[in-house]
Amino acid sequence: MNIQPKRNMPKMPRVRESFRLQSIQTIITVSFTLMTILVVIVVSLMLYNKFSKTAEENAHLNIQQIIEQVNYHLELYVKGMQDIYEVVEGQINDTPDISSPLLREQLTTLLHTREDLVSVGLFTPAGKLVLDIPDLEMRKNTMLEEQSWFESARSQPQKLSFSAPHIQNLYKGQYKWVVSLSRMIQYKDHGTIKEGILLVDANFRTIDELSRKVSLGKRGYAYIIDDLGNLVYHPQQQLIYAGLKYENMEPVLKYAYGSYTDKPTGEPRYITIRTVEPIKWKVVGVAYPDEIVTTKKDLNQFIFWFLLVVCAAVVVLAIFVSAKISQPLRRLEKSVQSVGQGDFSTPIHVSGAHEVVQLSKRFNFMLHRIRQLMDQIIHEQEAKRKSELDVLQSQINPHFLYNTLNSVVRLAEKGKKEEIVATITSLSKFFRISLSKGKNIITLEEELEHVRHYLIIQQIRFKNKFHYAIECEEEALACLTLKLILQPIVENAIHHGIEKMSDEGFIRITASLQEKRLVIKIADNGLGMTRQIMDQLLTGSVRSGGSGVGVKNVNERIRLYYGKNFGLSFESELEEGTTVTITMPAERNEAELQERGMS
Amino acid sequence: MTRIRAVRLRVYLMLALTVMLASCGGGAPSLYVLEKPKNVDMIVKMNHGDFWKTVKMGAEVAAKEYNVNLTFKAPQNESDIDEQVRLMEESIQSNADAIILSASDYMGLAQVTDRAAYYKIPVISMDSEVASARIKLFVGTNNYEAGQKAAKRLIDLIGPESRIGVMNFVKGAKNADEREEGFMDYVARYPGVEVVDIEYCESDEQLARQLTRNMMTKHPDINGIVALNEVASIGTAEEIQASGYGGKVKIITFDSTAKVMEMLQEGIVQATVVQNPFNNGYLAVQYAVQVMEGIELDDERIDTESRLIDLGNMLQSDNQKLLFPFVK
Repeated sequence: MNIQPKRNMPKMPRVRESFRLQSIQTIITVSFTLMTILVVIVVSLMLYNKFSKTAEENAHLNIQQIIEQVNYHLELYVKGMQDIYEVVEGQINDTPDISSPLLREQLTTLLHTREDLVSVGLFTPAGKLVLDIPDLEMRKNTMLEEQSWFESARSQPQKLSFSAPHIQNLYKGQYKWVVSLSRMIQYKDHGTIKEGILLVDANFRTIDELSRKVSLGKRGYAYIIDDLGNLVYHPQQQLIYAGLKYENMEPVLKYAYGSYTDKPTGEPRYITIRTVEPIKWKVVGVAYPDEIVTTKKDLNQFIFWFLLVVCAAVVVLAIFVSAKISQPLRRLEKSVQSVGQGDFSTPIHVSGAHEVVQLSKRFNFMLHRIRQLMDQIIHEQEAKRKSELDVLQSQINPHFLYNTLNSVVRLAEKGKKEEIVATITSLSKFFRISLSKGKNIITLEEELEHVRHYLIIQQIRFKNKFHYAIECEEEALACLTLKLILQPIVENAIHHGIEKMSDEGFIRITASLQEKRLVIKIADNGLGMTRQIMDQLLTGSVRSGGSGVGVKNVNERIRLYYGKNFGLSFESELEEGTTVTITMPAERNEAELQERGMS
Repeated sequence: MTRIRAVRLRVYLMLALTVMLASCGGGAPSLYVLEKPKNVDMIVKMNHGDFWKTVKMGAEVAAKEYNVNLTFKAPQNESDIDEQVRLMEESIQSNADAIILSASDYMGLAQVTDRAAYYKIPVISMDSEVASARIKLFVGTNNYEAGQKAAKRLIDLIGPESRIGVMNFVKGAKNADEREEGFMDYVARYPGVEVVDIEYCESDEQLARQLTRNMMTKHPDINGIVALNEVASIGTAEEIQASGYGGKVKIITFDSTAKVMEMLQEGIVQATVVQNPFNNGYLAVQYAVQVMEGIELDDERIDTESRLIDLGNMLQSDNQKLLFPFVK
């Protein structure tokens, strides 16, 4: 059973299906990728903001701590120096005579205990040396009266002044960088109380090293200024003096404590300020943010690569997943397409996702049901047709009976007793075979007998207007045949071929076996028919109006029972006659034969 | 998103500000920090002496600032020209990105400098020049001017009718020649001033003392001596002090060793011309970076200031740092 394929699929552009915009694969890949990238970008941005902010804060905190540390050390150092100064002053105060060797010894010991202590000196307000430890020769041209420590001690006698670092040029030997502590004090010289300026010089190296060690990134540094803005320490002090470098100290002087970002040359610098409390020096840390916040750069790179890798991975994954989903669907679609083209017999086998497998299973089940239903329909149709035909064939044409009875009446009127008997006998036998216990299949012998009785009746009725001959091979007699196949053809031959002709008609029925086929020929010498009518005979457009079992039905019944290779064929020529050939398979029913033989 | 826009706005603002500042900034040298460190070899005249140590210190500060790997090389002696040539060869071999050279001899280092230029290694001349047209830049004291400063002060001290001795260091070294030339040109303005002797001590302290002694014996009527570098200054001043001419013979020296400063306070030396070795070193490296980065240079000569230091200004804080660059 074939259903004609319906070729009404829409025309498709020759693009690979997976790349069509509307395909599941494309939709999944694109949406999946876009979604993930969007999410990753948003998350990355948030993380980046958070991280860079934290990194920046940490870096700033770190710098602040470093500067704090320097500040703390400086304060300690300064306090230590001030304590030493107090000790020296105390010893001088306690000594009744400034020139006593004991005092000198005590101060020398003190000087030895502190490595960074360079010298102690006591000067009269006029600048004359009273006492110096260690005992060194004074240089000429010291100009000490003009030096800052001397001036500040004179102008502010009560305050312990802490000078900016300078070259100590008082004593012969080395020129040392020192920080000078000085104040006006009182000392006893041979009992008389005098005023003098006590100078304690501390080596600047300690502060220098402390500041030099500060490392704020690769280029960052720390510098120190005093309360007036003079440089105490700067790694590039000479460059600044020479005007080659510029340090923006204006805001630094304003603040005592804090941090800010400054851009004196365009490059941002992170400035941190702390004040060394006792002497009001300011420790200033200078750091370059792009250096200290290296995390930001790293983070940038990391996020860039992360995005790239994630995107690549997502694209690959999306393609893979979408292919995994859409491929079984596409295979399913192809299978369904082949079903659509009429192939109901091959079941679909699609593996893949559970849903797809289920779908294909359901589809197979459906296919099975369709096949079953179709078989059922065919079966029912056949059965229906058969029963219809059975009804038709078992129908007794009342017109035939009426005509026959009418002719019997006429015969009776004429008193033709033998003919009445022959007619009634034939009619009886005709009907007996017609009924034949409800069987559809009878032997050829019986069928021939049946048609013979019909011919007898018709011969009497038409007053011997025609003759007939029935010839059958001996072996063919036992062949099985559908019943009532010859009668309609003979009826046709009489009605259309012979009845209207003026000459005497003749009908010859021959049955023979040809290569396992039973061939029955019904030939008449009647009017014949045109090819047009002959062609229409089997399509049923010509109504015979005979016994009701038309030629078309005979043909259909044969084909229904024996297949398409069998049936009727016609040869006809106008005014010459018609030959109808029936071909059927030569079937012998042995059982029936035996049965018949026995009965 | 608003946040991102705000950040972007800030970045634009920053850029605009930078451009504005850069256009207003003018002369201030902007930073050309190297992305990747480059190798710069600095070859100087001598591997000892405060002067070269200070040069080195300045160079190191710049190297840190501009991300430069600095290699500092020098022969044992200032007169060892061959060794300096060898050091140059070595730097060419090791394919340095730039060489900073302070040539001991004006002519002697010329050939090797040309060779370095041939190998596309930029050479920057520092402190004293070399006879090569391939030099990218000279960074150093204007020695002619320094010589003139010394002459002016000496004549101020000893008057327009006097006799002068000159203690130079290496004949052929460009800076020595220039100082001498500057000094002589200034003296030439005074017909009454006579330069009676010019000696070359080869930067040897003992030789300088010897030569001074000879000079004083030959010309006991000398009123003033000028010593044209650090070593010559020490030798000359010490000899004058030792021989009892201290204060009578006025001395103008060059450079600021502790000994010279001591002598200045003692009144043996009346004034000293100091260069700025720290700045020389620093600027040489800074300009080397510019040259390597291919930035157009405005000048072929970068003069670092020389100063005349005497008792009156030696304790000024900016001069203190110049005179005593190291914290001791």
